Amino acid sequence: MTLVKSSQFRKASAAAVRSPKIQIALDRVMDHFVEARAHALEEFPPESWEQMRERASAIKAQTLENLDYYLDLVDRNVQRNGGQVHFAADAAEANRIVVDIAKSVGAKQAIKSKSMVSEEMGLNQVLEREGIEPVETDLGEYIIQLAHETPFHIIAPAMHKSREEVSDLFHDWLKTAPTDDIRQLCMIARSALREKFATADIGITGANFVVAETGTVVLVTNEGNGRMTTSVPRVHVAISGIEKVIPAIEDVALFLRLLPRSATGQRITSYNSFISGPRAPSDEDGPEEFHLILVDNGRLNLLKDPEFREALKCIRCGACLNTCPVYRKVGGHAYGGVYSGPIGAVVTPMMAGIKDAKDLPHASTLCGSCRDVCPVKIDIPKLLLRLRQREVGGSASERSSTWTERLLMRRWRSTVLTRAALERSASLGRFLQGPITRRNRIRKLPVPVLGGWTKARDFPPLAPKSFATIWRDELAGDGRG
Amino acid sequence: MAVAKSTEPTNKAEFLQRVREALGRKEPLLYPPDYPPLKSATIRQEEKIQTVLARNAARRPRLLERLAENAGAAGWNVHRVWNPEDTAQTVADIAKKAGAKNVVRSSEDVFKPMDLDGALRRARIKPIVLASSRSRPRADLTGIAFDADMGVTGVSYAIAETASCVITPRRGLARITSLAPPVYVAVVRAEQVIESLDDYFALVRLQYQRTRGRGVNYANFISGPSRTADIEQTLTIGVHGPGEVHLVLVS
Amino acid sequence: MKVLRRAGVDVTFPADQTCCGQVGYNGGFEQEAREVALHFMDVFDGDEPVVVPSGSCASMIKIFYLDLFADDPVLLERAQRLSERTHEFSDFLVNVLEVENVGAAFSGTVTYHDACHLLRELHISAEPRALIEGVSGAELAEMTDSDRCCGFGGLFSVKFPEVSAAILGEKLENIEASGAEVVVANDCGCLMHMRGALSRKGMRQRAMHIAELLASQSGLAVGQPERPEA
Repeated sequence: MTLVKSSQFRKASAAAVRSPKIQIALDRVMDHFVEARAHALEEFPPESWEQMRERASAIKAQTLENLDYYLDLVDRNVQRNGGQVHFAADAAEANRIVVDIAKSVGAKQAIKSKSMVSEEMGLNQVLEREGIEPVETDLGEYIIQLAHETPFHIIAPAMHKSREEVSDLFHDWLKTAPTDDIRQLCMIARSALREKFATADIGITGANFVVAETGTVVLVTNEGNGRMTTSVPRVHVAISGIEKVIPAIEDVALFLRLLPRSATGQRITSYNSFISGPRAPSDEDGPEEFHLILVDNGRLNLLKDPEFREALKCIRCGACLNTCPVYRKVGGHAYGGVYSGPIGAVVTPMMAGIKDAKDLPHASTLCGSCRDVCPVKIDIPKLLLRLRQREVGGSASERSSTWTERLLMRRWRSTVLTRAALERSASLGRFLQGPITRRNRIRKLPVPVLGGWTKARDFPPLAPKSFATIWRDELAGDGRG
Repeated sequence: MAVAKSTEPTNKAEFLQRVREALGRKEPLLYPPDYPPLKSATIRQEEKIQTVLARNAARRPRLLERLAENAGAAGWNVHRVWNPEDTAQTVADIAKKAGAKNVVRSSEDVFKPMDLDGALRRARIKPIVLASSRSRPRADLTGIAFDADMGVTGVSYAIAETASCVITPRRGLARITSLAPPVYVAVVRAEQVIESLDDYFALVRLQYQRTRGRGVNYANFISGPSRTADIEQTLTIGVHGPGEVHLVLVS
Repeated sequence: MKVLRRAGVDVTFPADQTCCGQVGYNGGFEQEAREVALHFMDVFDGDEPVVVPSGSCASMIKIFYLDLFADDPVLLERAQRLSERTHEFSDFLVNVLEVENVGAAFSGTVTYHDACHLLRELHISAEPRALIEGVSGAELAEMTDSDRCCGFGGLFSVKFPEVSAAILGEKLENIEASGAEVVVANDCGCLMHMRGALSRKGMRQRAMHIAELLASQSGLAVGQPERPEA
């Protein structure tokens, strides 16, 4: 599994907020996505969109409840179509399967269309070690591959790169002349990749959906690299998490309406490919071999927990990222894993272990905006809260709240358990705040943990009399009746 | 808690058993889940399709209008042809305007009643039928398509809701005809136009049931030109697939 | 209190009250939160409606108590009865008393911040606006993204102060851009957060709880000294 650095969130998020480069990119892109989505939704009366979300959520729930049945159906149908299905318990196994397939056909070069599962697997590094050159063909993924970085956003992996940075990357790696013309940069990528399309031995893709009824992998793309990857090379390998399954071919229509609108505000993407197996013998072109690898890699941790199971409904649209006040200020890298934003804050701790990602469930104000925009109605704030609860009172492998936090909470509890205790604390507070209060504000709280407040904000001092006191002394008696 | 690293390949039975156990079960389901879309038998599907086809036939003129409108908005160049005999000339004109020197096309039935090759040659454009033959093995087709200036195919369906042309490759229709050249022309006959995504997948389901699953292994929707906004969220048209797409709608 | 009494309501303040427990609950400390919530339920035992000035406290009592006590049927029943009698302040005025004009007067432009729990858990957004518009002399100017979080999030503001401040910065820009002199919110957490930065940055805008606006009868514009909090 690619190293998850989620325990660094505090430092990484503070650095991101201070980085002008990241802030410029976030300002530019986030509003664009939000407005595009809002515009796309105008086509439906709100009740219709709600019904669509409700139906999609129910279909996904039903699928997950019966996932063993549907995975079996996928296997039988893909095989009937002439393809092969492989089951991988973890990233290491999935990587081995890909390498074995590549070696069995003597592949020296693999072209890849976007696959987040393959990022989880760290597939590219493994392929390189085995002497197989992986080439990302999705423009955003290509850029971050050249930059040796992880995706910054689920849908727009290179959104943090300015045109100058892209130009520098192309200059360094492809020896092309620098340019700040975006169209030119795209055309450079087009030429470079076109060559690879024509000569690659094996094409590797992800899957947006896997239809159980017909054994069909659905790819939702805009550039054309997905089609190239699945049409030209002799072998096509599709890698999918087990949660991407949807039951019936007629369900595809609903998901094709929800996904592009939620992700990029498009009614439909330029291309949708429906791949059910290798080419028919009489076809003019297309791969001779089709492999589908179904990957667990920690997803069963989510599946086996009835409360967390709904996180597997995710169709990877990225809408939660675009609306999240936290993501909008820090971007994807701070989350330290392949999946960022609200959904990342849920699945990363569950798949990698809470202790490795203990900050993530707290990287949220629980504002609920993500839940509002999720096309499959995942209750992300509830799941974040549950993770927080596990950090405090969960199993031994989950408990990770700090000694300081626990102490603070016990103090708080004691202080507010009775009126008398509260008033004693308040009296003490009024006494202590004297020296640090100026003109009715506290500019610096010299206290651990809570002191962070006053770096950018004033703190209100306690009022001279509590409301309860005022009530007792003045208000209770008069004004009645 | 990290997932245990496996050294033995997982077989399907083990894998599914683990999934089952995660769901709190020890045994596979006795009966398939009660999910109506999966249970509807072929006879029902046939009835449904009768309704779908009848509705589409009845609404055809409006559907053509809607397709043309949505396609225009999605970035297609839409050409309405009212007289089928004019189709070949329309396509040749597109090729000429695009400055194409050679055009690859499929050998689909849609081209039979017209002389597209003749119209192209008259415009001094070389037509190539991208189909394998004794003189041209499959291996060569890729190179030819990658060098071509324009590609032309028919469609299986055109979906008005999303302005999607459905291309289903088979003998005589290579996938890359509609993908590799920078310009692409889809020739759509009026009776191929259907209303919605739901209609399309209902049709696919029936075909799947009729052929007992030995149906079509690949289908592709083309709903506009190739595009990306991966650099600074700025839209660029024509990255890997065709940047210029034409929909020739023959009534 | 003043507003409720002016509206003819016989209001009492149970003096033993302390806290609804949300701080602990949101931090994942169920045990501690339960104890505090139990104290709250004891103090507010009875039949009368309970009016809560702060949106997040109101949502804690109305909604999250049902989660907190989900595994204890007796306590759950008490929580349900309490939930039914509990109302956030503006919800009580508009939907229970059916009052939108409490006879307040305030001259100035006011903008409204939709506190997250109030909006997304309790679905209250029209009521505070109706009340603002009922204030004679006040003009409601909507800000951009009034429904975007202010960045408080309870302990979030001290666990990740830089991110919290950045989110707040954007909210302040929107307040400034609205042209309003006053920002009204129905949540004490949001108010404390916004006030803290407004004063640190020396901005001219004032943050008020809706009750403060509704209690205003003098028509005094901004410049009035800030009322101390209880």
